[in-house]
Amino acid sequence: MRRSLFVPLLTAAGLVLLAAPFAFAAGEEIFQIEPGFKLVPAIIMVALLCVYVGVGFLSRVNETSGYWVAGRGIGKYGNGAAIASDWMSAASFMGVAGLLYLKGWFGLGYIIGWTGGYVLLLCLLAAQIRRFGKYTIPEFLGDRYDCHSVRLIAAAVTVIIAITYSTAQFKGIGLICGWIFGMDYNASVFFAAGVVCAYMLISGMAGVTRNQQIQYVVLISAFMIPLWILIRKAGGAGILPQLEYGSILSDIMQGKVASGHLTPGEIEQVREAYLPWGGGNFYQFIALVFTLMVGTAGLPHIMIRFYTVKNEDVARKSVLWGLFFIGLLYWSSPVYAAMGKFWNPLGGQAVADVIILSAPEKAGLGIAFIGYLAAGAMAAGLSTVAGLLVAGASAIAHDWYATIFRPGCTDRQALHVGRIFTAILCGIVVLTALNPPALIAQIVAMAFAIAGNTIFPAVVLAVWYGRANKYGALAGMVWGLGMTLIAMAGWIAKIPFFGADGLLPATSSALIVCPLAFLINIVVSNLTHSRVTEESADKMDNILRKLHNLPGYVEETPSRSGPVH
Amino acid sequence: MPGRERVQVNFFRPSTPGIRQEVAVAASVLAVWALLSFGVPILIFVAGLGDSSGLGESFLTRARFLGFPLHYWLIAQGCTIGYILLCKLYCLLWDKRIMPQRRQATGKDPRR
Repeated sequence: MRRSLFVPLLTAAGLVLLAAPFAFAAGEEIFQIEPGFKLVPAIIMVALLCVYVGVGFLSRVNETSGYWVAGRGIGKYGNGAAIASDWMSAASFMGVAGLLYLKGWFGLGYIIGWTGGYVLLLCLLAAQIRRFGKYTIPEFLGDRYDCHSVRLIAAAVTVIIAITYSTAQFKGIGLICGWIFGMDYNASVFFAAGVVCAYMLISGMAGVTRNQQIQYVVLISAFMIPLWILIRKAGGAGILPQLEYGSILSDIMQGKVASGHLTPGEIEQVREAYLPWGGGNFYQFIALVFTLMVGTAGLPHIMIRFYTVKNEDVARKSVLWGLFFIGLLYWSSPVYAAMGKFWNPLGGQAVADVIILSAPEKAGLGIAFIGYLAAGAMAAGLSTVAGLLVAGASAIAHDWYATIFRPGCTDRQALHVGRIFTAILCGIVVLTALNPPALIAQIVAMAFAIAGNTIFPAVVLAVWYGRANKYGALAGMVWGLGMTLIAMAGWIAKIPFFGADGLLPATSSALIVCPLAFLINIVVSNLTHSRVTEESADKMDNILRKLHNLPGYVEETPSRSGPVH
Repeated sequence: MPGRERVQVNFFRPSTPGIRQEVAVAASVLAVWALLSFGVPILIFVAGLGDSSGLGESFLTRARFLGFPLHYWLIAQGCTIGYILLCKLYCLLWDKRIMPQRRQATGKDPRR
């Protein structure tokens, strides 16, 4: 019986994996959902959904600043949990363990890439972005470079990232809902969209942020509880699984697994996975790590988090806590991977896909816990989608509509348009999730490369290089975006140069493209230095004074969009 | 008409004492960050050059730390724990070096 319940969950896992930022073979997503309604998981799920919407309702807002940036009242633990929850998508939740299972040591590159990026973010950007103190990343770039084209490119990149990323999440959410409530895939995508829209529209960022704190607790507890039971079954003491799996891992490298001893050929295969360059060479590793780091530091929906805090002191400390909360997940994922190797040392993609979901079954935790785990995965997906949609909608409503298209609009109108665009984005995501383009996995895989090649260099130079001007920024961003798209097209067309073994792998292109984007921005800025008008230079200087707390900062015309503390 | 004096901001040539201190804190933390992120993989790479199979087997993969193969622990936990400590260090340095000075300069607590 449990077996049959399990099949659709496996499917869900397979789909959610599409969200992982690397390519899995697309096309595996056509599975039949087991019909029927599962009572216990459904009760757990509905209860949690009620909590999310209820929290959103209780913390609803009436001002734009509340909608976009949660009224800036979020503290360091709360914002840390929100950063972590924003970050941990359904892909992190389900995909990373499978990735580590398949790729062994090489897969750890994803873990240090995704955590190391936060140090970059903290040292170079967090405090300065908070000092700027407005609402969105496109707004920051547009104001700093005093250029609407820069603003629009940044807004477009934000929207591209939001849509592709959320689509992958929606597919996962839809499958989980389908499994629990017995709806078909289409109905459950609509259902999931309804939940997301409901609480986002009711509450805006404040509700989303509060929910993200709850969602973090749900997802991390669902993720970690099975570990203690699993590690005991594998022969550990069951005190701190994150340390105890080390000796099990060492044994696996020597061929000692649950089923007894392997043949010499099989031992070699398992050992190879855990040796440094069994899964890819040194260049590929460094390129991957670098791309993920600058990509992480350049993701608009993560940066936007620094606007939601009271002051820059809290901005700094919330990165520390966010990284710690993310660390809890990434210290635990490899345990699942090692456990998977222990029981099934030679499995392929099919085993990797279900590692997290088969864990509670292996640990004998029963159907109720599987429901809780599904709710955790759902929480991971929902929180990420919500953060992405807020970032995407604000890029359109705030940076395009209220700044360029209708500069004179009132606060109420801007808020209204923001809600409309949240719903429109949600609709676009639903449409793409219903008819997923075959290439969605590849496109999602590019999100980090796009962010790292386009947004990251522009933002870092905006903060740290006073001479950087709009011409440099435009040249750098067009180069970064263009090269990422070329690499992506080349990869899809299977040109070896852009493939996984090529010189410029599409998913790891930032090691080469990002430093060049910096260089282009600097060189072009210097060449065009004399073309910047006095007025424009004054504006840019004013922003720089604000970013670096320099004397002589002049307050701009009174802020239209609500109070700024 | 001569233009106003422009604001000079450059990470490598900080112009004011305030920026200089912020850059000093950021640069020292980033130096350790680079060492962790790229130094450790380079160490594993260099150590593994002697392995003719190209898999990078070395003393790092044979050594054990807390039960883990050392090269695995260094990346899976060493680096990530290091990153969190670096964030902590950054916050500490900021509180020690920059906060007091700013409080003096502006006459108010920047934490508000």
